[in-house]
Amino acid sequence: VLINRLPRYDILSEEAVATLDKGWRRIVSELGIEFLHDDALDAFRRAGMAVEDTKVILDPDFVLEQVAKAPRAFDLQARNPARSVHIGGDHMVFSPVYGCPFVRDGLERRDATLADFRNLARLAQAFPQLDSVGGTICEPNDVPLDSRHLDMVFNLMTLSDKPFMGSVTSGPNAADTIAMAEIVFGRESIEQTPCVISLINVNSPLRYDDRMLAALLEYARANQPTIVTPFLLMGAMSPVSVPAALAQQLAEALAGIALVQLIRPGCPVVLGSFLSNTDMQSGSPSFGTPESAVGLLCTGQMARHFGLPWRSGGGLTASQAVDAQAAYEAMMTMLPTMLAGTNYVMHAAGWLESGLVSCFEKFIVDVEILRMLEHEFTPLEVTEETLAFSAHEEVGAGGHFLGAVHTLERFRECFYRPLLSSTANYERWRRDGGKDAAARASEIYRRTLEEYVEPEMDADLRAELKAYVDRRRKELGD
Amino acid sequence: MTHEEIIQKLYDDTLVGNAPEVRDLVERGLADGLEPEKMLYEALIPSLEEVGARFERGDFFVPEMLIAARAMQGALDILRPLLADTGAETIGTFVMGTVKGDVHDIGKNLVDIMLEGAGFTVHDLGVNVAPETFVEQVQEHRPEIVGFSAFLTTTMPMFKANINALEKAGIRDDVIVMVGGAPVTQEYADAVGADGYAADASTAVRLAKDLIARRRAAVPA
Repeated sequence: VLINRLPRYDILSEEAVATLDKGWRRIVSELGIEFLHDDALDAFRRAGMAVEDTKVILDPDFVLEQVAKAPRAFDLQARNPARSVHIGGDHMVFSPVYGCPFVRDGLERRDATLADFRNLARLAQAFPQLDSVGGTICEPNDVPLDSRHLDMVFNLMTLSDKPFMGSVTSGPNAADTIAMAEIVFGRESIEQTPCVISLINVNSPLRYDDRMLAALLEYARANQPTIVTPFLLMGAMSPVSVPAALAQQLAEALAGIALVQLIRPGCPVVLGSFLSNTDMQSGSPSFGTPESAVGLLCTGQMARHFGLPWRSGGGLTASQAVDAQAAYEAMMTMLPTMLAGTNYVMHAAGWLESGLVSCFEKFIVDVEILRMLEHEFTPLEVTEETLAFSAHEEVGAGGHFLGAVHTLERFRECFYRPLLSSTANYERWRRDGGKDAAARASEIYRRTLEEYVEPEMDADLRAELKAYVDRRRKELGD
Repeated sequence: MTHEEIIQKLYDDTLVGNAPEVRDLVERGLADGLEPEKMLYEALIPSLEEVGARFERGDFFVPEMLIAARAMQGALDILRPLLADTGAETIGTFVMGTVKGDVHDIGKNLVDIMLEGAGFTVHDLGVNVAPETFVEQVQEHRPEIVGFSAFLTTTMPMFKANINALEKAGIRDDVIVMVGGAPVTQEYADAVGADGYAADASTAVRLAKDLIARRRAAVPA
């Protein structure tokens, strides 16, 4: 886990924060938010909010009272206690790409399979830059739909000992996730310290759908955190102005967070942000845009304003291939992700083609970006020692430092060592096959999979988990 | 205003999406004895073809497409009953919806805009549409095409369920089935037995016109 002790890059003035604050208040109190689930509507009704059909008109002060019950930070336990994470404050947790129906491997783009899912989970386990193994790291299209969530959760829990993300495709699927977590961790333990975090998307604008709500309610009842995320592609799901999108994002997310607190006061929850823009020329989503970077910085500032841990960022790009666009768009999002001190970073490795594709080579490119940023965001030590006056004394004017004692003591670790980048001169690079970053990334991911070691799991526990999956699969008719 | 002037202005105002002016011009044309077919085929459709061409070139953005389509639909609201009386062949009717279990509609809405822009009559059933509802609506509107949209791999299997429902109702062969959505591929569309798939909204419109033309050519009138 990266602890980002560098200053936050806050770009909103106090007046701007106050205006955004008024903005979300107006939306929840004048327009309301739709919740397409009776339990959610009942919870709001019991709390005294006006409910018209499926629309809840919210008192903004009531929303904030509820939001204040959410912890500012919380721990998420992993199967291996050394890999447990803290979400909030200066901590940054990185999680791989999520939700892609396709994979890209070299020049091939195809339907994702369970084998791909397992390999991507292995990569997430192998690289220390990723703190979580993720959730739907790709959609395993080759296994039956009704029991697919069981396959995903089982593989996440066995191929990795890092925290994982739960199924949100329905209430029962969320309940299965929790039941499997109970087998491994015990109910009492996860009530104390949660072990699974799940992504709840708002069906923006201003609507929560029934499936996502069913999952949110299931997790809240079990004290497991959700990341409540408005899905905002400006121009389609929100107005074409960043401030408008920010106000809407707050209105939607805070309303959902208030619901979590109504169901279970004190349940950990994360304010989510997925904010980019539509290409108004074609209608396609765009990623790694300047507007999304600005939105990300502002989201961080507003999350701190409300004292909530928050999610955003990732190596986002619209590019179809592992090319220059993929890398610069990814960095265009990852840099503000760091500057803003994002607490939970989804899609931190492997995202390609606007999130339609999980890509093995891009995974490695993103790991390189994460490694570089980790270095860049380590506070600089400025001391007598780091001034290295003795090296000057030794070398004098016109000499070189390659053999100075100060250098000899440090040369292997003094600078960032790239995983992927090449600094070879042209002749050497050509002799080595003239491989570009994508080709080198392909070699790295294959090597990483070869060297991967499955983390140990108690055989009885594993058998119990497997028995649950087999039983439920049968019950579900797969 | 001469008839030629009305036709020209109708073309120009549709192109820029001036809906109130387009409606006025259509009514003025009718009052003036201009034939509905003439307004449709010499002003509205050519204008929307130009809109489509400009969009394809990247000169027009999505909102420009949208307002032109709205202007076109406003004119068609007035002209449709009159055209029906004359038996003129319209571009086509589309019944459209996001499949059951899926609540995503941005992509589908974009296809609606483009279809309406091309002169189609679109009946959009919204999101989370059950197979029975698709069957009922196809029976009611008798569209040339029914379109199923899915954004999730987990809801794509509803394409097959919908097609099965059409078969069971005995109307599968009466209607062209098109499918689409971000995770959908040509292979998937073929596998479930759809008649058409397109990767984006403008391709969907071209394909829709194509499929209708082929069907009309195949069926002796």
